[in-house]
Amino acid sequence: MPLLWPLLLSAALFGIGVYGVLARRNAVLALMGVELMLNAANLNLVAFDVWLRDVLVSGQVFTLFTIALAAAEIGLGLAIVLRLFRAYGHVDVDRVGGEPATVLGGVEAER
Amino acid sequence: MSTVEVLFWLLSCLAFASAILVVTTNHLVHAALWLVVTLGALAGCYLLLTAEFVAWVQVLIYVGAVVVLLLFALMLTRAPTAPEAATSTRNQPVAVGAAVATTAVLAVVLVDGFRGARIDVDGDPAGAADLIGDAIFRHWVLAFEVVSVVLLAALVGAIVLSRRGTDPSEGGG
Amino acid sequence: MIGLTLTIALPLLASLVGLAAVERIQAAWVAVGGAALTWVVTAVVALPRLGEADPVSGSWGHAWGNLDAPALTFALRGDAMSAALLLLAATVALLVQIYSVAYLADDPRYRAYAMIVSLFSASMHAVVVADDLFVLLIGWELMGVCSYLLIGHYWERSDARDGAAKAFLMTRFADVGLLVAIIVLGQAVDSYRISDVLDAVAAGEIGDATTTTVALLMLLAAVGKSAQFPLHSWLPDAMPGPSPISALIHSATMVAAGVYLVARMHPLFVASETATVALGLVAVVTMLIAAAFALAQDDLKRVLAWSTVSQLAYMFAALSVGSVVAAIGHLLAHGAFKALLFLAAGSVAHAVGSTAFADMGGLRRAMPWTFATATLGFAALPGLLPLSGFFTKDAIVGAAYDATHADAPGPAPSWLAWLILGAALVTAALTAAYATRAWRLVFGGQRRGTETAHEAPALMRWPLVVLSVPTVLMGLAVVWPGWLGGAEAEPVHSWVAVSSTLILVAIVGLTWLLGRTDEHGVTIDPATRLGPVRPLLAREFGVDAAYDRLVVRPTMGASVLTLAADRDVVDAYVRGATTGALGASRLLRWAQNRNVQTYVTVAVVGFALAAVLAGVSA
Repeated sequence: MPLLWPLLLSAALFGIGVYGVLARRNAVLALMGVELMLNAANLNLVAFDVWLRDVLVSGQVFTLFTIALAAAEIGLGLAIVLRLFRAYGHVDVDRVGGEPATVLGGVEAER
Repeated sequence: MSTVEVLFWLLSCLAFASAILVVTTNHLVHAALWLVVTLGALAGCYLLLTAEFVAWVQVLIYVGAVVVLLLFALMLTRAPTAPEAATSTRNQPVAVGAAVATTAVLAVVLVDGFRGARIDVDGDPAGAADLIGDAIFRHWVLAFEVVSVVLLAALVGAIVLSRRGTDPSEGGG
Repeated sequence: MIGLTLTIALPLLASLVGLAAVERIQAAWVAVGGAALTWVVTAVVALPRLGEADPVSGSWGHAWGNLDAPALTFALRGDAMSAALLLLAATVALLVQIYSVAYLADDPRYRAYAMIVSLFSASMHAVVVADDLFVLLIGWELMGVCSYLLIGHYWERSDARDGAAKAFLMTRFADVGLLVAIIVLGQAVDSYRISDVLDAVAAGEIGDATTTTVALLMLLAAVGKSAQFPLHSWLPDAMPGPSPISALIHSATMVAAGVYLVARMHPLFVASETATVALGLVAVVTMLIAAAFALAQDDLKRVLAWSTVSQLAYMFAALSVGSVVAAIGHLLAHGAFKALLFLAAGSVAHAVGSTAFADMGGLRRAMPWTFATATLGFAALPGLLPLSGFFTKDAIVGAAYDATHADAPGPAPSWLAWLILGAALVTAALTAAYATRAWRLVFGGQRRGTETAHEAPALMRWPLVVLSVPTVLMGLAVVWPGWLGGAEAEPVHSWVAVSSTLILVAIVGLTWLLGRTDEHGVTIDPATRLGPVRPLLAREFGVDAAYDRLVVRPTMGASVLTLAADRDVVDAYVRGATTGALGASRLLRWAQNRNVQTYVTVAVVGFALAAVLAGVSA
């Protein structure tokens, strides 16, 4: 098959992922956009690796590592989102920033 | 067009459409489910590209773990199951522009560079499990170990961050 | 030389020391003491100089200036003319300071007033003894400033504020003439010293055009300072100032400075027939219209103000026909009796609370001292024998007559001399009329106002008495031969004396008859007989209205325009800078708006741009 097809698919998915990160109001949905971007990169790597028939299979190995790191990252990212939720009571990225309603999540601020 | 190409084309359309739905739908939980569809379609694409091991790892980890995590997060942040009115920020027009620009740049570069290339999918699979395993444990073993340490660190960090009552300003010093 | 400097330095010092006075009584002692000390020094310096032909001059310190322009020096000159004027200025200043202690007894701003009067005294002395034209100019301008401050002493009153501004603006406008004249003279003679200038004129070194230009410019300055036509209207409007100020500044000294300037620079005028004719015409017009205006006024001080303008015109007329002696003599006599009249007006105002004729009448019984001294003043004004005004006025008329002969040595052409002679006689008649009218309206008949009048306190009475002495005796001084340093005294023409006395008596009698008391004993104003002419005179021929239309309104319009331009054009840039800065800050705020998506957007767009640029340039 033409190399371009997976490549163009990956470019399209990357653009959609960018839109998701930039335009979604909920933090979790923004993280979904990040996942899309990572997947686009993975597809790109795999396509090139298969095309080149690399001796070290570096593209696919890299893809595996990327998947593992994505899992780690999404775990941590969601823990942070949870902290954000505990502090502000919502995860709207437009409204966070400034003095949180509760300090560092879980402890009532003394006013 | 061979079977592989037709199938690949169908799966691409599926992936593309469901990705669009992920980033535009108003139902938050539906977005996660469309993400499943997208990731699944991509796994199919990997299969068609003869990268079998990557495809199965994708299904296992992405669809099985990552999306589940995302659903848990949606639950824990009290995401409404009803459609939300405003899921897009003020940024939306700029975001569309940025996304289109990025796609365009990438597409132009790729088309310009790899116009006539073809992948040979009819020979031996390029991503058979024994091949990958051989490569990892022979050539990439250090990175492999480091990745496992990274996963451990992420695990510990996630636990620390999500513990309730662990305010560092509580208690002494 | 030291003495001359002291005449300037002492009042200046008194003015500065007055700054430190906290109590009224301290300021009063400093002011009066300073004036008294100045008078003593002036007498010591000036008396020997009277009658001396040769001036004494000298300068302090080195000359200032660069190589291209002539140098400025602090040079002073003492001759008979400066001596006479110094004595006049110092005497009137001392008497005014004493008078003011009582006149301004209730005034909260007395300390500032006393300080400014001392400063004024210093600047008048500087003008009179200056040998460097710039020293004269500095004194001249300082006098203008002090006049402004003192006219506006009662600044709560809008007529005082307006009068002060009007006086300052009109005289300042005329002073441009003096400044330009000094600069031109400096270039022509290559020195700013008066001695050098007069020597150059005598030697005929200055060209005709330059002489005429300079003389006309100095005439402009004198016209402004001495309130002659067409800059005559500020003097009556300066009357809202305190009466002692009117006595000091607006009768005896500052307005006389214009006469002094022309007298000092008389050789310039003699050398230029154009300037002499201009001077003569200005004098003729002014003396006639001012005397006419004085006849129609309702306020005692305004009558005296127009009278001052008219008498100054007499002095200018004398200078025009070439008789400096007659002019200075009349200046001294006028200084004495006009100051006396103004101080008497102040005394009356102190008693009845206003200066309008409507509030006066019948005051001869309630204020005997004021009545007696003011009668002397009112008699000296039209020139009743044997008071001082008689001798000096007749000297002027005589000089004019002498100049009418075709082969007369003076600078004026004979047609001008005939004009001056006629105008002088008509003005003399008018002067007699308004003097009698004023005297009758103030002192004659029955009391018109409501308040009971009382005599003035002692500190106000004694200056009046002191001033009546020169009012009576000054005539003898100016007839003395050679009193003004070398020039012979004008002989008294007997026909002039006889005819003027006859005219005087006739007019006085006529005015008296016209102003008979009515059935209640109140004096009828003789001016009512003027009929329809009276409103025209009272409005002063509408000259002020014309100035307002032609000069004031366009200037105010221009200033409004300038303000608008400053606000809308220049300030718009300033405001634009603010707006620009605010707008820029609003843009730059995006870099720190705590929104992660904004940062990522910028990163993505930046990446796209960088990639495009890289692709384009590759």
